[in-house]
Amino acid sequence: MKSVFLSLFFLSLVTHAQKLEYATLTIPDSLKQNANVVVRLNEVLVNIPSQKEMVVKTKTVTTVLNELGLSYLDLSENHDKNRKITKIEAVVYDAFGKELKSFKRKDFRDVSVADGVSIFNDNRALYLDYTPTVYPFTMVFETEVSTSNTAFLQPWSPMEGYLVSVQKSNMTITYKPELKLKVKEINFSGQATIEKTETASSISYAAKNVVARKREELSPGFAKVFPIVYFALENFSLENVEGTATNWAEFGKWYYQSLLADTEEIPVETQAKIKQLVGDEKNPITIAKLIYKYVQEKTRYVSVQVGIGGWKPMLAKEVDKLGYGDCKALTNYTRALLKTVGVDSYYTVVYAGRDDTKDLQEDFASVQGNHVILTLPTDKGFVWLECTSQVQPFGFQGDFTDDRNVLLIKPDGGSIVKTKTFTEIDNKRILKGNYSISAEGHLKGQVTIVSNGLQYDAHFNKIRMSKEDQIKVYKEEFSNINNLSIKKINLSDNSQAVEFGEELALEAEGYAQNTGGKLMFALNAFDQSNYVPKKHKSREFPFQVLRGYTEESEVEIVLPEGYIVEAKPDGIQLDTEFGSYKIEFKVLTSNKILCARKLVIKKGQYDKTKYESYRKFRETLAKNDNSKIIITKA
Amino acid sequence: MKLTFLICLGILFGSHAVAQKQALGKVKKEELMEKVHPKDSSAAAAIIFKKAKTTYTYYEQSGFVSSTDFEIKIKIYKKEGFSWANFEIPYYVGYQTLNDEYVDIISAYTYNLEGDNITKDKVVSQSKFKQTVNEYWAKQTIAFPNVKVGSIIELKYKLKSENISVLPDFQYQYDIPVNFAEYTTEIPEFYLYKGMLRGYVKPEITYDVEPTSQSFSSKLDKAYANKILTYNQIVTNYKAKDIPALKEEEYVNHMQNYYAKIVHELELIRYPEEEPKPISTTWEKVVESIYKEERFGKELKETNYHFDDLRLLIKKDFTTKDKITAVFNFVKSRMNWDEKYGYYTHKGVIKAYQDKVGNVAEINFILLSMLKLAGVEAYPVLISTRENGLAFFPNKSIFNYVIVAAVDGQENILLDATDKSADLNILPIRDLNTSGRMIQDNGASSEIDLMPKSNSKEVLNMMAQIDTQGKVSGKIRHQYFDYNAYLYRANYNGMAKQSLMERLEKKYNGIEIQEYDVQNNYDFTKPIIENYAFEATNSVEIIGNKMYVSPLLFFALEQNPFKSEVREYPVDFGFPNQDKFNVSLTIPEGYTIETIPQPKAIAMPDGLANFKYNISNTENVIQLTYAVDINKAIINADYYDALKNFFKELVNKQTEKIVLKKG
Repeated sequence: MKSVFLSLFFLSLVTHAQKLEYATLTIPDSLKQNANVVVRLNEVLVNIPSQKEMVVKTKTVTTVLNELGLSYLDLSENHDKNRKITKIEAVVYDAFGKELKSFKRKDFRDVSVADGVSIFNDNRALYLDYTPTVYPFTMVFETEVSTSNTAFLQPWSPMEGYLVSVQKSNMTITYKPELKLKVKEINFSGQATIEKTETASSISYAAKNVVARKREELSPGFAKVFPIVYFALENFSLENVEGTATNWAEFGKWYYQSLLADTEEIPVETQAKIKQLVGDEKNPITIAKLIYKYVQEKTRYVSVQVGIGGWKPMLAKEVDKLGYGDCKALTNYTRALLKTVGVDSYYTVVYAGRDDTKDLQEDFASVQGNHVILTLPTDKGFVWLECTSQVQPFGFQGDFTDDRNVLLIKPDGGSIVKTKTFTEIDNKRILKGNYSISAEGHLKGQVTIVSNGLQYDAHFNKIRMSKEDQIKVYKEEFSNINNLSIKKINLSDNSQAVEFGEELALEAEGYAQNTGGKLMFALNAFDQSNYVPKKHKSREFPFQVLRGYTEESEVEIVLPEGYIVEAKPDGIQLDTEFGSYKIEFKVLTSNKILCARKLVIKKGQYDKTKYESYRKFRETLAKNDNSKIIITKA
Repeated sequence: MKLTFLICLGILFGSHAVAQKQALGKVKKEELMEKVHPKDSSAAAAIIFKKAKTTYTYYEQSGFVSSTDFEIKIKIYKKEGFSWANFEIPYYVGYQTLNDEYVDIISAYTYNLEGDNITKDKVVSQSKFKQTVNEYWAKQTIAFPNVKVGSIIELKYKLKSENISVLPDFQYQYDIPVNFAEYTTEIPEFYLYKGMLRGYVKPEITYDVEPTSQSFSSKLDKAYANKILTYNQIVTNYKAKDIPALKEEEYVNHMQNYYAKIVHELELIRYPEEEPKPISTTWEKVVESIYKEERFGKELKETNYHFDDLRLLIKKDFTTKDKITAVFNFVKSRMNWDEKYGYYTHKGVIKAYQDKVGNVAEINFILLSMLKLAGVEAYPVLISTRENGLAFFPNKSIFNYVIVAAVDGQENILLDATDKSADLNILPIRDLNTSGRMIQDNGASSEIDLMPKSNSKEVLNMMAQIDTQGKVSGKIRHQYFDYNAYLYRANYNGMAKQSLMERLEKKYNGIEIQEYDVQNNYDFTKPIIENYAFEATNSVEIIGNKMYVSPLLFFALEQNPFKSEVREYPVDFGFPNQDKFNVSLTIPEGYTIETIPQPKAIAMPDGLANFKYNISNTENVIQLTYAVDINKAIINADYYDALKNFFKELVNKQTEKIVLKKG
């Protein structure tokens, strides 16, 4: 009897297996601070036995401490024609390490990975739709994937993101030595102790107890501050096309030969049309302008991502027939058209994005980037063409691809160059105007604004908006003016000069506030900046101002008849390493005041210790932009 | 109407084509040359016409199957209209017993004007994409070739469905203008549908009954023979023209609720020589048909699975209210919502109870079943959530959610246990959609008001003093009641104190917060109370030797949220509410009060909203009591001007300054 009981007890212990190492109590307090999630283990084992074969085994053990950490938990694995999931399972444990539930492959749902842009792509994912029943909990997630693509090896970082601690993380790559593994370490400076071991056919990285960091305003992107190791094979395979990448020159040659060379054919009729269009023109820039305009009018951007199509552009003759394509297709089509009239241009790979200027790693030839533009070499330097836009002016790339390292693919090889940096002098916005205030406090005025550089980029779309949308945009732009009504809008887009003009007539009831029989209002009505960065009591990361700009304005203000100035703001001048600010309020005549303002913000990377002085600079200028005058009946 | 159900052998009828003004394939040069829409110059594209016709085909095996033919002609005026050239047709693939819906692209062309000639490009198979979205939906996408500014695209397709209990929605209003829309249904007399109109544009409707017939192949022993089925069909025609574009504005519920469309639901089947079979003519029928479904009625009756837990929960001396509270809190804390909607269970209440995870129906059925077993009178309430639109007519498909009403004496207490921040009579915001349908045990049903009966309060007490530098420091006690407490709990419960402080510092520019604490996050019997000390450097303006300050400091609303000139649809505040401030502000040493704002009270017509601003002072202390009431959750577009004006007055009063003078 006793032995039966014992064995039963033993059995129940086995079935309700408790994994003490997954208990939440064993997590050191230091890892719980600032963390919604603690990654207990992140283990990635990559095996590459041949150029066309790679197996990735991943095991992650994640403790989600609270509801806010749930969105971090990613229980999905991608698959496609060349990427098979051979194992996928998950087990969830409670705070004491007691198993709550386990999930097998059949519990995972197979879904299409919608990227929000493509009308079609063939990427799919298996994912587990998990609803937690208790916090904290620990999820053990294991997958095994085999793929014939060896062009991308996932990078490794000891950090998993903001508000996430990592107890243990390691990654090992075992590979056939002839494939030659390249490794690049960045930002290896003290944020975590990293162990590295290497043999002739393997490499591994490991780190322990990396505490969670908080996101800080104006921090550079993740890849600019956190340690990351990038891996790539010199001899790889991309969708069953073999490639080599010892350096960018060779990689570019491979790219051209395998992905571009056989896509250039243009139908004879179109060739004839293009030749007629170009006529006797010899200047390559003028020719390129004509062809760029032709492409802008003929095509539109439509993304379809299928198999190698995710990497190889659609044939130029297909684009010619269908009149649409993605960035690769449209860029390559423009290139092919230019080639038919003897103008060289280069297919150019870039990491596109407005919020960050991400470079292609200069000394690390590999498949990188997420977008393609066209580069036109001229005797005055490179001209960059964004071929997916039907509205962008010729040679104006805007803030989507500016100021970063990109890869030019030429038939004889590739090279890394930097795209245009728009300076604070380029990005200029000049406002001139006047307004009058009535005795009832109503504002009535006009402004004209001229924008260049990236300021042009930010505003030129207004011309294609509906009247209602334009009004909506201006109400946001001048949100400091209550009860605003826009009486007239006159816009002009000079795409030759890349200059955008705006002419507005504005009215606002009660702009000046009646305070005990006196009128009070901010003199600087049209050119206010209220942006003040958030206060960080202590700061860990440096900060950056990604792009510089200049704002200048001169506005004449007419006071109501019979009023005199009781008190007037003094104006201020600030000169800092971040830029300069000056605002003046000059009395012109007894009822006329001129408000003159100039703000220059410089592009820059700054040490964290300077954050508070930058914040103060913005705060002071925001306050002065809104400084008020008091006028009273004489 | 006498039913005829004749089967004749070997007789064939030819169909006659009806001449129509609007037809595909007739693109004119003037249309291609047109630069702007004649009635809406801002339109990026316009639907020249959209037509659809639903017909029925008889198969001996599966009976009547419906198919709908769509014809659409679209003009592209601007590059912003190119998205219409990637045309998506979603279709349902999630049936348990029926075949998937099926989309057949019959023809698709792009027309352009090249020089003086009209060119016509056909959509090739390479430009048609079928894609599974999830287990219920797939979509067919068509990328029209060579679309430019000025192009016209035409599409004809057929959508086939074996599910005749609903017809595809016919939407005829979009964010671009629609010049002409026409929908025709030819419904065999055996089926009676309820056609429902949504949105604000009403079509012209005509009805007709006409005899018709169709041939089908019938199996006779081992051979097939053609047979003819003759019957009457009801032809309904809906027409609308010049339907303006509907654009999204601030404070809206969900745009899909406002677009004009026609929705059909089967309400009666009347086969010859059979008793007519009602599907959903009245609320009784709707409820009956939902109740009959096992995943509703049967699931509701399950009881044993929670008996042991319930016994521990209910004490002898419990009042009805105690029981409701105990059971609700138990289910709310035990069960975890998988974020799936619906009024049918998926895996069943028993499994859901064991897993502690369930969909809406499972969680609220568990709640209902436990309440009943505890001796509380309780009923399911079918509702349509806010993003799902309103239930105007008796029909089954409009509901997408079920909650519980428990009866305590004269009062119905509404309960939804899917949300950890919900409480008795505090439903998640998604539930607050006018009214629901409460189902009694005998299948009878009645409408039940879902909207909160009283304004949810927010009360802020502030004691502050200004120093001679214009810096303000003080203490705040901020209380959130009812739905305000719900929102606070739903958004901020679980957040670290540091993050909550930073949230306030971000929201109110120029303040620094200390001694922050928050109470009653999980005590639902009490309001949420935030206490903190603050310092504000940005609230006082010093101009010359005077100080200017709003007694509401950084809480003053500086901008009118209603900026549009006109409003097409209602303003939706979610729930009625009251914002109340009690402020005591001490002025700096050496200053005197020059002026203070006048007290003021303003009310909107029909008592929709009001504010009261009372201010007084002693020598150096200013006292303000200020309250804003928004008495209705949804304010009709007719009142938009009044509302905008109300907020203008409100902003003026909130930003009005006290003037302090040195010496």
